[in-house]
Amino acid sequence: MKRKALLAVCAAALPLVAQQFQFHLEHLAAKASNTVDLSLNGSTLQFAAKFLDSDDPDEAKVKKLIASLDGIYIKSFEFKSDGAYSPADLDSIRNQLKAPEWSRILGVKSAEDGETAEVYLRTENKKISGVAILSAAPKELTVVNIVGPVDLDSLAELSGHFGLPRLKETKPGRRM
Amino acid sequence: MDWLERELQQALERKMPPDGFAARVSAAAGKRRSFAPRWWMGAAAAVVLLLAGGSLEYREYRGRVAKERVLLALRITAGQLHYIQQRVQRESQGAPVEVRQ
Amino acid sequence: MVFSVAYHFLHDRPAAEEVAQEVFLSLHRHMRDLQSAAHAGFWLRKVAVQRSLDEARRRKRRPQVSLEVVGEPAAQGPQSGPETPGRDPMLGETLRRLIASLPEAPRMVMILRYQEDLDPREIAAILRMPVGTVKSHLQRSLALLREKLARRGVGEFGWTG
Repeated sequence: MKRKALLAVCAAALPLVAQQFQFHLEHLAAKASNTVDLSLNGSTLQFAAKFLDSDDPDEAKVKKLIASLDGIYIKSFEFKSDGAYSPADLDSIRNQLKAPEWSRILGVKSAEDGETAEVYLRTENKKISGVAILSAAPKELTVVNIVGPVDLDSLAELSGHFGLPRLKETKPGRRM
Repeated sequence: MDWLERELQQALERKMPPDGFAARVSAAAGKRRSFAPRWWMGAAAAVVLLLAGGSLEYREYRGRVAKERVLLALRITAGQLHYIQQRVQRESQGAPVEVRQ
Repeated sequence: MVFSVAYHFLHDRPAAEEVAQEVFLSLHRHMRDLQSAAHAGFWLRKVAVQRSLDEARRRKRRPQVSLEVVGEPAAQGPQSGPETPGRDPMLGETLRRLIASLPEAPRMVMILRYQEDLDPREIAAILRMPVGTVKSHLQRSLALLREKLARRGVGEFGWTG
Protein backbone atom coordinates (compact mmCIF):
# COMPACT_ATOMS: atom_id res chain seq x y z
CA MET A 1 0.00 0.00 0.00
CA LYS A 2 2.82 2.36 0.95
CA ARG A 3 4.59 1.45 -2.26
CA LYS A 4 1.48 2.25 -4.33
CA ALA A 5 1.11 5.60 -2.56
CA LEU A 6 4.78 6.35 -3.21
CA LEU A 7 4.40 5.49 -6.91
CA ALA A 8 1.28 7.68 -7.13
CA VAL A 9 3.13 10.61 -5.59
CA CYS A 10 6.05 10.12 -7.97
CA ALA A 11 3.70 9.89 -10.97
CA ALA A 12 1.93 13.09 -9.91
CA ALA A 13 5.23 14.83 -9.38
CA LEU A 14 6.77 13.83 -12.71
CA PRO A 15 4.95 16.40 -14.94
CA LEU A 16 6.10 19.15 -12.56
CA VAL A 17 9.73 18.40 -13.43
CA ALA A 18 9.01 20.01 -16.81
CA GLN A 19 6.57 22.87 -16.18
CA GLN A 20 6.79 24.74 -12.91
CA PHE A 21 3.05 24.61 -12.28
CA GLN A 22 0.09 22.69 -13.68
CA PHE A 23 -2.09 24.49 -16.19
CA HIS A 24 -5.21 22.28 -15.81
CA LEU A 25 -6.75 23.87 -18.93
CA GLU A 26 -7.17 20.86 -21.24
CA HIS A 27 -10.96 21.03 -20.90
CA LEU A 28 -10.99 24.42 -22.64
CA ALA A 29 -9.64 23.08 -25.92
CA ALA A 30 -13.02 21.62 -26.86
CA LYS A 31 -14.67 25.03 -26.48
CA ALA A 32 -11.97 27.06 -28.20
CA SER A 33 -12.09 28.24 -31.80
CA ASN A 34 -8.30 28.40 -31.82
CA THR A 35 -5.85 26.66 -29.53
CA VAL A 36 -2.09 26.92 -29.25
CA ASP A 37 -0.46 24.27 -27.09
CA LEU A 38 3.32 24.40 -26.97
CA SER A 39 5.44 22.20 -24.71
CA LEU A 40 9.09 22.78 -25.48
CA ASN A 41 11.47 21.16 -23.02
CA GLY A 42 15.18 21.88 -22.73
CA SER A 43 16.18 19.26 -25.30
CA THR A 44 13.73 20.62 -27.86
CA LEU A 45 14.98 24.16 -27.30
CA GLN A 46 18.62 23.16 -27.76
CA PHE A 47 17.75 21.12 -30.83
CA ALA A 48 15.79 24.03 -32.33
CA ALA A 49 18.68 26.40 -31.58
CA LYS A 50 20.83 24.50 -34.09
CA PHE A 51 18.45 25.59 -36.83
CA LEU A 52 18.32 29.26 -35.87
CA ASP A 53 20.21 31.53 -38.22
CA SER A 54 22.89 33.51 -36.38
CA ASP A 55 23.03 35.94 -39.29
CA ASP A 56 19.38 36.91 -38.85
CA PRO A 57 19.14 39.56 -36.09
CA ASP A 58 15.82 38.25 -34.70
CA GLU A 59 16.88 34.62 -34.74
CA ALA A 60 20.27 35.45 -33.21
CA LYS A 61 18.52 37.13 -30.27
CA VAL A 62 16.28 34.11 -29.86
CA LYS A 63 19.25 31.76 -29.97
CA LYS A 64 20.96 33.71 -27.18
CA LEU A 65 17.78 33.84 -25.11
CA ILE A 66 16.98 30.15 -25.23
CA ALA A 67 20.57 28.99 -24.71
CA SER A 68 20.12 28.73 -20.95
CA LEU A 69 16.41 27.91 -20.76
CA ASP A 70 14.99 24.60 -19.58
CA GLY A 71 11.58 24.92 -21.20
CA ILE A 72 8.80 27.06 -22.61
CA TYR A 73 5.21 26.00 -22.01
CA ILE A 74 2.25 27.87 -23.45
CA LYS A 75 -1.44 27.29 -23.63
CA SER A 76 -3.46 29.89 -25.49
CA PHE A 77 -7.13 29.78 -26.34
CA GLU A 78 -9.42 31.95 -28.41
CA PHE A 79 -13.16 31.60 -27.98
CA LYS A 80 -16.08 32.73 -30.08
CA SER A 81 -18.05 34.02 -27.14
CA ASP A 82 -17.58 35.29 -23.59
CA GLY A 83 -17.83 33.01 -20.59
CA ALA A 84 -16.08 30.01 -22.09
CA TYR A 85 -13.71 29.82 -19.16
CA SER A 86 -14.36 30.57 -15.51
CA PRO A 87 -12.44 32.55 -12.89
CA ALA A 88 -11.77 29.21 -11.22
CA ASP A 89 -9.65 28.18 -14.20
CA LEU A 90 -7.25 31.01 -13.51
CA ASP A 91 -7.52 30.72 -9.73
CA SER A 92 -6.24 27.15 -9.85
CA ILE A 93 -3.05 28.51 -11.43
CA ARG A 94 -2.84 31.57 -9.17
CA ASN A 95 -3.07 29.32 -6.12
CA GLN A 96 0.01 27.43 -7.28
CA LEU A 97 1.80 30.72 -7.82
CA LYS A 98 1.26 31.60 -4.17
CA ALA A 99 4.06 29.19 -3.29
CA PRO A 100 6.97 30.96 -1.57
CA GLU A 101 9.32 30.67 -4.54
CA TRP A 102 6.93 32.71 -6.69
CA SER A 103 6.25 36.44 -6.43
CA ARG A 104 3.89 38.54 -8.44
CA ILE A 105 5.82 41.45 -9.88
CA LEU A 106 3.21 43.03 -12.12
CA GLY A 107 -0.51 43.08 -12.62
CA VAL A 108 -2.69 45.19 -14.90
CA LYS A 109 -6.44 45.23 -15.09
CA SER A 110 -8.87 47.02 -17.33
CA ALA A 111 -12.43 47.18 -16.09
CA GLU A 112 -13.41 48.70 -19.43
CA ASP A 113 -12.13 45.81 -21.56
CA GLY A 114 -12.43 43.11 -18.93
CA GLU A 115 -8.77 42.27 -19.51
CA THR A 116 -6.19 41.28 -16.91
CA ALA A 117 -2.55 40.36 -17.13
CA GLU A 118 -0.10 39.24 -14.46
CA VAL A 119 3.60 38.46 -14.42
CA TYR A 120 5.20 36.26 -11.76
CA LEU A 121 8.86 35.51 -11.13
CA ARG A 122 10.24 32.35 -9.61
CA THR A 123 13.47 32.63 -7.70
CA GLU A 124 15.84 30.07 -6.23
CA ASN A 125 18.89 31.13 -4.22
CA LYS A 126 18.10 34.72 -5.15
CA LYS A 127 18.31 33.96 -8.85
CA ILE A 128 15.47 33.95 -11.38
CA SER A 129 14.49 30.40 -12.25
CA GLY A 130 11.20 30.96 -14.05
CA VAL A 131 8.55 33.35 -15.34
CA ALA A 132 4.80 32.94 -15.46
CA ILE A 133 2.44 35.15 -17.45
CA LEU A 134 -1.33 34.94 -17.09
CA SER A 135 -3.34 36.94 -19.59
CA ALA A 136 -7.12 36.93 -19.71
CA ALA A 137 -9.65 38.72 -21.87
CA PRO A 138 -13.34 37.89 -22.38
CA LYS A 139 -12.59 35.74 -25.43
CA GLU A 140 -8.96 34.86 -24.89
CA LEU A 141 -6.87 33.13 -22.30
CA THR A 142 -3.09 32.68 -22.41
CA VAL A 143 -0.79 31.10 -19.86
CA VAL A 144 2.98 31.09 -20.32
CA ASN A 145 5.65 29.39 -18.21
CA ILE A 146 9.27 29.96 -19.10
CA VAL A 147 11.55 27.67 -17.13
CA GLY A 148 15.13 28.52 -16.35
CA PRO A 149 17.32 31.52 -15.63
CA VAL A 150 15.31 33.90 -17.80
CA ASP A 151 17.10 37.05 -18.91
CA LEU A 152 14.34 39.61 -18.44
CA ASP A 153 16.23 42.25 -20.42
CA SER A 154 16.43 39.94 -23.41
CA LEU A 155 12.75 39.10 -23.08
CA ALA A 156 11.88 42.80 -22.96
CA GLU A 157 14.09 43.37 -25.99
CA LEU A 158 11.74 41.19 -28.01
CA SER A 159 9.59 44.31 -28.29
CA GLY A 160 10.66 45.85 -31.59
CA HIS A 161 11.18 42.42 -33.14
CA PHE A 162 8.82 39.79 -34.45
CA GLY A 163 6.77 42.50 -36.15
CA LEU A 164 5.84 44.10 -32.84
CA PRO A 165 6.02 47.90 -32.69
CA ARG A 166 8.61 49.39 -30.40
CA LEU A 167 6.82 51.22 -27.61
CA LYS A 168 7.53 54.96 -27.67
CA GLU A 169 5.89 57.84 -25.91
CA THR A 170 4.50 60.49 -28.24
CA LYS A 171 2.36 63.56 -27.81
CA PRO A 172 -1.15 62.68 -26.68
CA GLY A 173 -2.99 61.22 -29.56
CA ARG A 174 -5.66 58.71 -30.24
CA ARG A 175 -6.14 55.93 -27.75
CA MET A 176 -5.06 52.40 -28.62
CA MET B 1 2.47 33.09 -69.51
CA ASP B 2 3.88 36.22 -67.85
CA TRP B 3 6.58 36.68 -65.20
CA LEU B 4 4.16 36.23 -62.28
CA GLU B 5 2.82 32.96 -63.62
CA ARG B 6 6.36 31.67 -64.15
CA GLU B 7 7.24 32.69 -60.58
CA LEU B 8 4.13 30.93 -59.31
CA GLN B 9 5.14 27.73 -61.09
CA GLN B 10 8.51 27.92 -59.37
CA ALA B 11 7.09 28.86 -55.98
CA LEU B 12 4.52 26.08 -56.11
CA GLU B 13 6.86 23.38 -57.34
CA ARG B 14 6.13 20.06 -55.74
CA LYS B 15 7.37 19.58 -52.17
CA MET B 16 8.57 16.22 -51.03
CA PRO B 17 7.21 14.67 -47.86
CA PRO B 18 9.65 13.82 -45.05
CA ASP B 19 11.94 10.84 -45.31
CA GLY B 20 10.27 7.65 -44.16
CA PHE B 21 6.80 8.75 -45.28
CA ALA B 22 6.38 5.88 -47.74
CA ALA B 23 7.46 3.38 -45.09
CA ARG B 24 4.94 4.75 -42.59
CA VAL B 25 2.12 4.56 -45.11
CA SER B 26 3.10 1.02 -46.10
CA ALA B 27 3.25 -0.02 -42.46
CA ALA B 28 -0.19 1.43 -41.76
CA ALA B 29 -1.61 -0.14 -44.91
CA GLY B 30 -0.15 -3.51 -44.00
CA LYS B 31 -2.30 -3.60 -40.90
CA ARG B 32 -5.45 -3.51 -43.01
CA ARG B 33 -6.87 -6.41 -45.02
CA SER B 34 -6.92 -5.91 -48.74
CA PHE B 35 -8.85 -7.87 -51.35
CA ALA B 36 -7.01 -6.39 -54.29
CA PRO B 37 -5.39 -8.79 -56.75
CA ARG B 38 -1.66 -9.37 -56.15
CA TRP B 39 -0.51 -7.51 -59.25
CA TRP B 40 -2.33 -4.40 -58.04
CA MET B 41 -0.47 -4.61 -54.72
CA GLY B 42 2.79 -4.23 -56.56
CA ALA B 43 1.42 -1.42 -58.71
CA ALA B 44 0.00 0.38 -55.69
CA ALA B 45 3.28 0.01 -53.82
CA ALA B 46 5.06 1.47 -56.81
CA VAL B 47 2.61 4.37 -56.94
CA VAL B 48 3.04 5.06 -53.23
CA LEU B 49 6.81 4.97 -53.45
CA LEU B 50 6.86 7.05 -56.61
CA LEU B 51 4.52 9.73 -55.37
CA ALA B 52 5.56 9.79 -51.75
CA GLY B 53 9.32 9.32 -52.00
CA GLY B 54 11.36 12.20 -50.71
CA SER B 55 14.96 13.04 -50.33
CA LEU B 56 14.63 15.42 -47.38
CA GLU B 57 16.42 14.34 -44.26
CA TYR B 58 13.92 13.71 -41.54
CA ARG B 59 16.15 15.32 -38.94
CA GLU B 60 16.24 18.57 -40.85
CA TYR B 61 12.46 18.50 -41.10
CA ARG B 62 12.15 17.95 -37.35
CA GLY B 63 14.62 20.75 -36.70
CA ARG B 64 12.66 23.22 -38.78
CA VAL B 65 9.43 22.25 -37.06
CA ALA B 66 11.10 22.71 -33.66
CA LYS B 67 12.50 26.08 -34.71
CA GLU B 68 9.11 27.35 -35.84
CA ARG B 69 7.52 26.22 -32.59
CA VAL B 70 10.16 28.07 -30.58
CA LEU B 71 9.68 31.22 -32.66
CA LEU B 72 5.91 30.95 -32.22
CA ALA B 73 6.32 30.54 -28.46
CA LEU B 74 8.47 33.64 -28.23
CA ARG B 75 6.14 35.63 -30.48
CA ILE B 76 3.29 34.84 -28.15
CA THR B 77 5.39 35.71 -25.07
CA ALA B 78 6.64 38.93 -26.67
CA GLY B 79 3.08 39.84 -27.61
CA GLN B 80 1.86 39.36 -24.06
CA LEU B 81 4.74 41.31 -22.53
CA HIS B 82 4.27 44.06 -25.07
CA TYR B 83 0.59 44.36 -24.18
CA ILE B 84 1.46 44.54 -20.48
CA GLN B 85 4.12 47.17 -21.12
CA GLN B 86 1.59 49.25 -23.04
CA ARG B 87 -0.97 49.08 -20.23
CA VAL B 88 1.58 49.96 -17.57
CA GLN B 89 2.86 52.88 -19.58
CA ARG B 90 -0.65 54.20 -20.19
CA GLU B 91 -1.60 53.91 -16.55
CA SER B 92 1.58 55.47 -15.18
CA GLN B 93 1.50 58.39 -17.57
CA GLY B 94 -2.23 58.93 -17.43
CA ALA B 95 -2.22 59.89 -21.09
CA PRO B 96 -3.14 58.01 -24.23
CA VAL B 97 -0.12 56.47 -25.88
CA GLU B 98 0.29 56.35 -29.63
CA VAL B 99 2.38 53.49 -30.85
CA ARG B 100 4.73 54.09 -33.74
CA GLN B 101 6.06 51.22 -35.86
CA MET C 1 1.98 15.42 -55.71
CA VAL C 2 -0.46 14.47 -52.94
CA PHE C 3 1.71 15.85 -50.13
CA SER C 4 2.52 18.90 -52.16
CA VAL C 5 -1.11 19.78 -52.88
CA ALA C 6 -1.90 19.44 -49.18
CA TYR C 7 1.19 21.39 -48.14
CA HIS C 8 0.64 24.36 -50.42
CA PHE C 9 -3.02 24.46 -49.53
CA LEU C 10 -2.73 24.11 -45.76
CA HIS C 11 0.68 25.78 -45.42
CA ASP C 12 1.38 23.39 -42.57
CA ARG C 13 3.84 20.57 -43.05
CA PRO C 14 2.64 18.21 -40.27
CA ALA C 15 -0.98 18.66 -41.35
CA ALA C 16 -0.01 18.01 -44.96
CA GLU C 17 1.71 14.78 -43.97
CA GLU C 18 -1.40 13.65 -42.11
CA VAL C 19 -3.62 14.40 -45.10
CA ALA C 20 -1.23 12.66 -47.48
CA GLN C 21 -1.15 9.55 -45.30
CA GLU C 22 -4.96 9.44 -45.22
CA VAL C 23 -5.09 9.73 -49.01
CA PHE C 24 -2.67 6.86 -49.58
CA LEU C 25 -4.42 4.67 -47.04
CA SER C 26 -7.66 5.46 -48.82
CA LEU C 27 -6.00 4.44 -52.10
CA HIS C 28 -5.13 1.15 -50.49
CA ARG C 29 -8.80 0.60 -49.59
CA HIS C 30 -10.13 1.56 -53.01
CA MET C 31 -7.59 -0.16 -55.22
CA ARG C 32 -10.03 -2.57 -56.82
CA ASP C 33 -12.14 0.38 -58.00
CA LEU C 34 -9.29 1.77 -60.07
CA GLN C 35 -9.02 0.69 -63.68
CA SER C 36 -5.59 1.92 -64.70
CA ALA C 37 -2.53 3.84 -63.55
CA ALA C 38 -3.89 7.00 -65.19
CA HIS C 39 -7.14 6.52 -63.33
CA ALA C 40 -5.15 6.10 -60.11
CA GLY C 41 -3.34 9.39 -60.76
CA PHE C 42 -6.58 11.25 -61.38
CA TRP C 43 -8.18 9.61 -58.35
CA LEU C 44 -5.25 10.53 -56.09
CA ARG C 45 -5.30 14.13 -57.18
CA LYS C 46 -9.05 14.43 -56.67
CA VAL C 47 -8.97 12.84 -53.21
CA ALA C 48 -5.94 14.94 -52.20
CA VAL C 49 -7.90 18.07 -53.11
CA GLN C 50 -11.02 16.93 -51.25
CA ARG C 51 -9.15 15.89 -48.12
CA SER C 52 -7.16 19.14 -48.06
CA LEU C 53 -10.37 21.15 -48.32
CA ASP C 54 -11.94 19.04 -45.58
CA GLU C 55 -8.94 19.52 -43.32
CA ALA C 56 -8.99 23.29 -43.84
CA ARG C 57 -12.70 23.48 -43.01
CA ARG C 58 -12.24 21.27 -40.00
CA ARG C 59 -9.52 23.44 -38.58
CA LYS C 60 -11.29 26.69 -39.57
CA ARG C 61 -8.12 28.61 -39.33
CA ARG C 62 -8.08 32.34 -39.17
CA PRO C 63 -4.44 33.31 -39.47
CA GLN C 64 -3.24 35.79 -36.90
CA VAL C 65 0.31 36.88 -36.36
CA SER C 66 0.46 35.79 -32.72
CA LEU C 67 -1.16 32.41 -33.04
CA GLU C 68 -0.53 31.24 -36.55
CA VAL C 69 1.94 28.46 -37.16
CA VAL C 70 4.25 30.41 -39.47
CA GLY C 71 7.26 29.58 -41.43
CA GLU C 72 8.04 26.70 -43.68
CA PRO C 73 11.06 24.66 -44.47
CA ALA C 74 13.46 25.84 -47.13
CA ALA C 75 12.94 24.46 -50.62
CA GLN C 76 13.55 20.73 -50.76
CA GLY C 77 16.16 19.28 -53.02
CA PRO C 78 18.22 21.24 -55.54
CA GLN C 79 17.18 24.76 -56.47
CA SER C 80 15.64 24.88 -59.93
CA GLY C 81 17.67 27.12 -62.22
CA PRO C 82 20.58 29.43 -61.49
CA GLU C 83 20.21 32.50 -59.32
CA THR C 84 19.17 35.55 -61.37
CA PRO C 85 21.19 38.59 -60.33
CA GLY C 86 18.92 41.01 -58.49
CA ARG C 87 16.14 38.44 -58.20
CA ASP C 88 14.49 38.48 -54.80
CA PRO C 89 15.26 35.08 -53.26
CA MET C 90 12.31 35.49 -50.89
CA LEU C 91 9.80 35.97 -53.71
CA GLY C 92 8.89 32.29 -53.73
CA GLU C 93 8.28 32.37 -49.98
CA THR C 94 6.18 35.54 -50.35
CA LEU C 95 4.11 34.00 -53.11
CA ARG C 96 3.47 30.84 -51.12
CA ARG C 97 2.28 32.91 -48.15
CA LEU C 98 0.04 35.03 -50.36
CA ILE C 99 -1.45 31.92 -51.95
CA ALA C 100 -2.04 30.49 -48.46
CA SER C 101 -3.94 33.63 -47.53
CA LEU C 102 -6.44 33.29 -50.38
CA PRO C 103 -9.93 31.93 -49.68
CA GLU C 104 -10.18 28.15 -50.09
CA ALA C 105 -11.68 27.90 -53.57
CA PRO C 106 -9.34 30.29 -55.43
CA ARG C 107 -6.41 28.93 -53.40
CA MET C 108 -7.00 25.41 -54.63
CA VAL C 109 -7.58 26.64 -58.19
CA MET C 110 -4.20 28.38 -58.15
CA ILE C 111 -2.43 25.29 -56.79
CA LEU C 112 -3.97 23.02 -59.41
CA ARG C 113 -3.10 25.50 -62.15
CA TYR C 114 0.47 26.31 -61.19
CA GLN C 115 1.64 23.26 -59.29
CA GLU C 116 -0.19 20.61 -61.28
CA ASP C 117 -0.26 22.50 -64.60
CA LEU C 118 -3.92 21.65 -65.17
CA ASP C 119 -6.02 23.68 -67.55
CA PRO C 120 -9.30 25.30 -66.39
CA ARG C 121 -11.45 22.46 -67.74
CA GLU C 122 -9.48 19.85 -65.81
CA ILE C 123 -9.61 22.01 -62.66
CA ALA C 124 -13.36 22.46 -63.09
CA ALA C 125 -13.81 18.67 -63.29
CA ILE C 126 -11.87 18.06 -60.08
CA LEU C 127 -13.48 20.84 -58.09
CA ARG C 128 -16.93 20.34 -59.64
CA MET C 129 -17.35 23.98 -60.49
CA PRO C 130 -18.15 25.74 -63.77
CA VAL C 131 -15.18 26.48 -66.04
CA GLY C 132 -16.16 30.16 -65.98
CA THR C 133 -15.81 30.20 -62.20
CA VAL C 134 -12.36 28.62 -62.41
CA LYS C 135 -11.23 31.24 -64.90
CA SER C 136 -12.67 33.98 -62.76
CA HIS C 137 -10.81 32.69 -59.69
CA LEU C 138 -7.58 32.60 -61.69
CA GLN C 139 -7.98 36.12 -63.03
CA ARG C 140 -8.90 37.66 -59.70
CA SER C 141 -6.23 35.82 -57.76
CA LEU C 142 -3.53 36.87 -60.20
CA ALA C 143 -4.73 40.47 -60.06
CA LEU C 144 -4.73 40.36 -56.26
CA LEU C 145 -1.23 38.89 -56.15
CA ARG C 146 0.05 41.53 -58.53
CA GLU C 147 -1.45 44.27 -56.38
CA LYS C 148 -0.03 42.84 -53.14
CA LEU C 149 3.40 42.34 -54.64
CA ALA C 150 3.38 45.88 -56.04
CA ARG C 151 2.64 47.20 -52.55
CA ARG C 152 5.66 45.30 -51.31
CA GLY C 153 7.76 46.84 -54.01
CA VAL C 154 8.05 43.63 -55.97
CA GLY C 155 7.60 43.54 -59.71
CA GLU C 156 9.16 41.69 -62.60
CA PHE C 157 12.77 40.68 -61.86
CA GLY C 158 12.02 40.88 -58.15
CA TRP C 159 12.49 44.54 -57.44
CA THR C 160 10.85 47.83 -58.34
CA GLY C 161 12.28 50.23 -60.85
